[in-house]
Amino acid sequence: MIENNNKPFVFVVDDDPHIRQALHGLIRSIQLNVHTFATTEEFLNFERPEAPGCLVLDVRLPGLNGLDFQHDLQRLKIDLPIIFITAHGDVPMSVRAIKAGAIEFLTKPFRHQDLVDAINVGIERDRSHRQAMTSLRELQSRFVSLTPRERQIMHKVTGGGPNKQIAAELKLSEFTVQVHRSHVMHKMKAKSLVDLVRMADKLQDCAKTA
Amino acid sequence: MFLPVTTVALALTVFAVDTITDLEIAIPVFYTAIILLSVSFLNKNGIVFVGLGCIALTLLSDLLTANNGVSEAGVINTALSLLAITSTTFLAVKIQSSKVAASEAQSQLAHVVRVTTLGELAASIAHEVNQPLAAAVINGNACLEWLAANPPNFDEARRAAALLVEDTHRASHILAQVRALTKGSTSEKGPVEINKTILATVALIDAEIQRSEVSVQTQLSNHLPIVDGDQVQLQQVILNLILNAIEAMNLVAAGPRVLVISSATSDSNGVLISVQDTGAGFAGKNFDRIFDAFYTTKPNGMGMGLAISRSIVENHCGRIWATPNSPRGAVFQFTLPNGRELNA
Repeated sequence: MIENNNKPFVFVVDDDPHIRQALHGLIRSIQLNVHTFATTEEFLNFERPEAPGCLVLDVRLPGLNGLDFQHDLQRLKIDLPIIFITAHGDVPMSVRAIKAGAIEFLTKPFRHQDLVDAINVGIERDRSHRQAMTSLRELQSRFVSLTPRERQIMHKVTGGGPNKQIAAELKLSEFTVQVHRSHVMHKMKAKSLVDLVRMADKLQDCAKTA
Repeated sequence: MFLPVTTVALALTVFAVDTITDLEIAIPVFYTAIILLSVSFLNKNGIVFVGLGCIALTLLSDLLTANNGVSEAGVINTALSLLAITSTTFLAVKIQSSKVAASEAQSQLAHVVRVTTLGELAASIAHEVNQPLAAAVINGNACLEWLAANPPNFDEARRAAALLVEDTHRASHILAQVRALTKGSTSEKGPVEINKTILATVALIDAEIQRSEVSVQTQLSNHLPIVDGDQVQLQQVILNLILNAIEAMNLVAAGPRVLVISSATSDSNGVLISVQDTGAGFAGKNFDRIFDAFYTTKPNGMGMGLAISRSIVENHCGRIWATPNSPRGAVFQFTLPNGRELNA
């Protein structure tokens, strides 16, 4: 079950049942898992597996523009790479979609290699995004395991202060600072001071964007 | 011809009565009727000319009756008459300008309707046909993928191929529906007097003709049989041919711009309509393809005008063709069968 969960998924949202059926077959033929949906609601209600994936989205959907749905997904923090397909795409539309982060904007009938390439790019992007998210979450859980004093020391150390200065600032002995510091390095699994600084940066970036 | 003669006769009558009767009666006020009449058959300059003429006649009449003594009332009456004539002329010129503007707007409207209905029709047909074609391409590719797999998956390949066949059937079914749609719209058939249709079409785009400085000659036969057809569609064909002719002549800078529209009895006792221009002609164009859909030589053309014209004429059991005009330009001709013989 866990193994199956890690196999990439392709989601297709298109209101035309024949296009859906055809895409279903094509994506299966290139050895990928596929789920098709007639509407965006169906897609949102579907419980997506924890696996890298991407979304193939028709621009013209009943009652909703695919570009607006791209916007909705961003608001809902559903970070899934999108490949747009359309029967009548124009340049401004495709520019808007790509600017908003879409992988590709394909006009029907498209060359299947273009779709396959875009799907592979999308899955790769999602995979590395997921990896980055996983390592960030791990980093956060390590950081949470620090005591308040250790966090304080980590902040000072990554800020570039030498042990002596930190000890003076916090009215601690230099030895105590050294002990806390080695605890921090151990708990954060940092190999070097540079490593620890990088982790601190990542955590800070994440705190900023959150 | 009737109106101008009446107008001149009326002007002379007013002049005669004005000269004979007493100065103290403001007869020249009736000149305003002449100015108003002239609006229906003269352009702006013509109306101004008529106005000036009326003023001249009023003054001439005063001069001829001056030996009877000049009275104060007479002078006031003349002044009032001149004021009335001047203001009527001014208003008449304004009426004429708005008439020209209205007719220009109407011809632009005819243009816009023609272009947008064609555009919408083409876009929606394109979308409807594109969907099954896209599905067919995807299924075809899926089929190839299944066959290329190692080992090949024949069941899946067969399934994809079957879907592909279905998709192409769906595409041709949609096209059949479109054909049925265009056939269905010819049901509004009735007796058509083709000369009236030609004149109505020319009137509709009069402003376009004026703007392009084209001289239009109609050579209409008085002994034409009645045609059985759809008046609106036949008008569309004539409109297409005339607009094409004008566009072709706009491409040519020098030389006379003459558009000849004629009607005659065809060899088979039907009607033969011909539209001749002195435009760019067919040089460098793929002569065999001009009636094909989407074939166009115009930068913004859709290539639908002549294709639709041909489909309309053929739906009326007629024939349409083109030949080069001599020394330059093109002749488009189409025939329509005799309505009585068709129904007999």
